[in-house]
Amino acid sequence: MIYVERVDYIRVPVTDIEQAKHFYGEVLGLEQNTKLRHDDWIEFEAGNVTLAVMTPHTHDYEFTPLPPGTIALRVADVAAAKAKLEAAGVQVNDMWDSGVCHGAGFRDPAGNPILLHHRYAPYEQSGSDPESFASTGHAPVSDTGATRQGSVG
Amino acid sequence: MITAQRVDFIAVPARNRALLAEFYEDTLGLERSPTSTESWIEFETGNVTLAIVEPRDAGVEFAPLPFGTIALRVPDVEAAKSKLTAAGVAFAGETWDSGVCNGAAFTDPDGNGIVIHHRYKPYLDGRSPDEQV
Repeated sequence: MIYVERVDYIRVPVTDIEQAKHFYGEVLGLEQNTKLRHDDWIEFEAGNVTLAVMTPHTHDYEFTPLPPGTIALRVADVAAAKAKLEAAGVQVNDMWDSGVCHGAGFRDPAGNPILLHHRYAPYEQSGSDPESFASTGHAPVSDTGATRQGSVG
Repeated sequence: MITAQRVDFIAVPARNRALLAEFYEDTLGLERSPTSTESWIEFETGNVTLAIVEPRDAGVEFAPLPFGTIALRVPDVEAAKSKLTAAGVAFAGETWDSGVCNGAAFTDPDGNGIVIHHRYKPYLDGRSPDEQV
């Protein structure tokens, strides 16, 4: 067993870095990490974890998109975020309601599926408001993640 | 432009959720969320939740996370690699040194691309990467 301290980044493979820079920065509104200076590896902070947007073809392997629903982005209102993305020309799937959360999927320009996600139901065990939990949309966890910012490497 | 508050979870696809969860718990040593159920198993990593999902539940064909998708921070990449190798994990290639960090790539039992990672060089603003833990 090893000791894992945190997740430093989630790698998001793309085929066109400039197109991805616009999408993640200007359409999804994520803050770009300015501590890095690379042409083929740029990072965006998503509150608790870093998304490393990079081009596999300049890193000696072939592009394959992430599988469906890999990244669940928390938004305040899934329907509102879906409308904004659609106004920006992004095709967003129908919103679903699991009984505890809303979700709606879309794809980035490279074809990576991303989920707009918001849990609205309190957690069963604690009765707590999901807004008070930092991490997951599905189960209560420690809120220590809220103070930890993304990281580069 | 939307406002994304954070990442609620990263979905890790499994062919068999219970079997893959054993690897994340017993080999990688991650903490299983106490509210995990048979149909939704989550692990905490300190900053973001990993959810072990079976794509077939949603009628989707299984496809693993591509090479190096999840970078797990460890204190010492070589030490962690030795432990994982002893546990039967096969690494893809040698440990790399990018000039700012060390990393080593492997796949979990279902083929998902994971990296063990440690940045040793301070950031451009002089901060130590270890300050963030």
